Amino acid sequence: MSATTPLAHNLERLQRTAFRVGGGAAVLCLVGLFVDRDQFFRSWLIGFLFWLAPALGSLAIVMLHNMTGGAWGFTIKRLLEAAMRTLPALAALALPILLGIGSLYEWSHADVVANDEILQRKEAYLNVPFFIVRTVLYFAIWIFLARKLIRLAERYDRTLNPKALRRIGFLSGFGLVLYFLTMSFASFDWGMSLEPHWFSTIYGVHFIIGQGLSTLCLAVIVCSRLVRHDPFSRWIEKSHFHDLGNLMLAFVMLWAYISFSQFLIVWSGNLPEETPYYLTRTQNGWQVMALVLVVCHFAAPFFILLSRRNKRTATTLARLATVLFLLRFVDYVWLIAPSFHHGEMHLSWLDVAAPVAIGGIWIGLFTRNLRGRPLISLHGKLLKQLEEAPQS
Amino acid sequence: MQPAPPKEPARPAVIAPGHTHASITDKITSIVLRRHTPRGWFVGFGIAFALVMVLLTSITMLLLKGTGIWGLNVPVGWGFAIINFVWWIGIGHAGTLISAILLLFRQDWRTSINRFAEAMTLFAVACAGVFPLLHVGRPWLAYWLVPYPNTMALWPQFRSPLLWDVFAVSTYATVSAMFWYVGLIPDFATLRDGAKSKVFRVIYGMLALGWRGAARHWERYETAYLLLAGLATPLVVSVHTVVSLDFAVSVIPGWHATIFPPYFVAGAIYSGFAMVMTLAIPLRKVYGLQDFITMRHLQNMAKVILATGLIVAYGYTMEAFFAWYSANDYERGMAWNRMVGPYAPFYWALIVSNVIVPQFLWLKKVRSSVVALFVICLVVNVGMWLERFVIVVTSLSRDFLPSSWDTYSGTIWDWSLFIGTMGLFAALLFLFIRFLPMISIFEMRTLVPGGEAAPHDKDADAAPVDGAGPEEQA
Repeated sequence: MSATTPLAHNLERLQRTAFRVGGGAAVLCLVGLFVDRDQFFRSWLIGFLFWLAPALGSLAIVMLHNMTGGAWGFTIKRLLEAAMRTLPALAALALPILLGIGSLYEWSHADVVANDEILQRKEAYLNVPFFIVRTVLYFAIWIFLARKLIRLAERYDRTLNPKALRRIGFLSGFGLVLYFLTMSFASFDWGMSLEPHWFSTIYGVHFIIGQGLSTLCLAVIVCSRLVRHDPFSRWIEKSHFHDLGNLMLAFVMLWAYISFSQFLIVWSGNLPEETPYYLTRTQNGWQVMALVLVVCHFAAPFFILLSRRNKRTATTLARLATVLFLLRFVDYVWLIAPSFHHGEMHLSWLDVAAPVAIGGIWIGLFTRNLRGRPLISLHGKLLKQLEEAPQS
Repeated sequence: MQPAPPKEPARPAVIAPGHTHASITDKITSIVLRRHTPRGWFVGFGIAFALVMVLLTSITMLLLKGTGIWGLNVPVGWGFAIINFVWWIGIGHAGTLISAILLLFRQDWRTSINRFAEAMTLFAVACAGVFPLLHVGRPWLAYWLVPYPNTMALWPQFRSPLLWDVFAVSTYATVSAMFWYVGLIPDFATLRDGAKSKVFRVIYGMLALGWRGAARHWERYETAYLLLAGLATPLVVSVHTVVSLDFAVSVIPGWHATIFPPYFVAGAIYSGFAMVMTLAIPLRKVYGLQDFITMRHLQNMAKVILATGLIVAYGYTMEAFFAWYSANDYERGMAWNRMVGPYAPFYWALIVSNVIVPQFLWLKKVRSSVVALFVICLVVNVGMWLERFVIVVTSLSRDFLPSSWDTYSGTIWDWSLFIGTMGLFAALLFLFIRFLPMISIFEMRTLVPGGEAAPHDKDADAAPVDGAGPEEQA
């Protein structure tokens, strides 16, 4: 698109602002690193996980769409690809976690392990070199998948060669399997091992669903902006928002299903190894967050998304998506932060600065990627046909 | 020549070309209305009926002698009864998924398989229900499970998932039956109008509830059907979630796992689709329904089987990893015991049949071969039974106290009861095929060009069956 359209102008402005805000917050974080080293790493971890979600979730949703098809996917594919292309940057943003292993993870201290029989028995998995190798491996796999898929999609757009399409399908199938496994283990490493005695077999799925939800919210937010501008107002229709809204509803329900069943099973088992996880998270002020999650991350969006009209109104859906996207942050805080503070609920200014820093950089890069390439994945004629084709 | 729409290349049609409203109606109703019942039907029904007699004998023996005739012992208090219950109820889930969820997702390929998949659900639930009912020991007092104000001032334990099972399964059976019946009403009217014999005309006429195909009838029908689909959808998840909680709320290693609910639901859909295929493949062959249950159906179902099979495999992986990661002696011992203990052959057979064999479905060649699909589905059916066996028996037979360890195997009466329910299932299916339209006639009619529901038309004039598009790949 030419640089004169209002959309290009808006995006450019957004990119500039995002980089500025992100850069400013990053400087604050750097100050934080010297003022309160431990807190810096803790807040960074939360911010990192929060912003990894839309990038990695985009990879997953694109692969899922390559397998299932459906009109909803074609409209958002390009913007999801723009999010996928931030993965190398996120790999760089993961560096502080590797540098902060000592501050974050109890199991990394030899003296702690020496006095803890359980940690000794987990040492083959929970040790610093293997942790680093795994983190590098996860990102290598994700970046490989993202790059390959984008390149194949570009080739298909150019040549309409069915062979490229077949390879996309093949790669997406295997890619989804890889994503499920790597993201599960990544969540065990980055999140679950913060409380190294505790474990839950559903933990990885919780992260995966959260990433899907973040991605859908992002897609709805971006689409609701794009739809105000000329070419997109003709291409993005109410039915696309409706489909995205339905998917959001499905992910909200899945999130609640997983969260509640985990809680119920831990509660009824009432085992000393497991209940501390919920005890710390339902006392000393953390219960407020839990309640906010139950009401605003499940109950309210559930009822709002049941209405057909709400799903078909871009502004309503986008407002809800924005709130849900921010609530994902509350969920990450509630998952991660209590493992550092077993006493009172504790939030630091860095808990705001770090996500804003990462977020600013991320949004800047995402906007740059959006500007870099056409936002609709195929030329108009094909898209028109798609519009007329039956949904799903 | 226009280029194909992106990612939606010509797909094999959900109904073979050349069919009209009349040909569909004739083809499906003739199976029910023609006078001569094929000899094969009598042979099949005869065998199934004999097995129902085995079932009745087993139940009689059980009621005379008590559950002592089963192989249960002290650590293993849950044996075949719960294994078979979970196996059967899981099979039912595909029917509900196909009829409700695929309807809401506007997947028109569900149309020719939903009717008999729903029937399968009902019959599977009936078979499943037999086991807990008998396992309570005194089935004539089974109503004690239901909370009602009684002179004994006793209430069931509301915190127990076994009670939730009573609600979940009875709701499931009710909604499935309603869904099935409501879906049948327009077809009952078709049968009523086509029946030659007066008796059948009266019976089908009563079942059709005075259906005349008026616009108002259709409008109400559509509303009712969609509402029922909405009601049935949560049941796909809830029933097997509750079943999984039967295990997961305990503290038994191998049972107490937070992944159980979604993993059980995926397993249920997995086994259910395998059973739908197991039934669909011979049915379409025997009754010449290849035009209606096309390769596209079989391929789509194969993909669902592959996807849910991978979720189940993810569950096994997590179980094994966390048994180690827990660093808990009992958890590790349980996993080790599964892999090398007395039931190791069952465990590895389960891994082969549920994880390894379905991987062949990645290959398009395998998905296009009816024989290969049939074999894989049979293997999956067995594998899912083994899964429940491994979960139930390995965890119980070696519990926390080595002094109370014991091995378990089903007795002849365990097996006869199980095989008897298979006979019940088959007998009900044979009756269903003979007396009811096994494919929804009016919904199939919407698939031909000029059918009532416009959105379906697109697929009807798509490419022929063998022109599988690239999206079918992988």
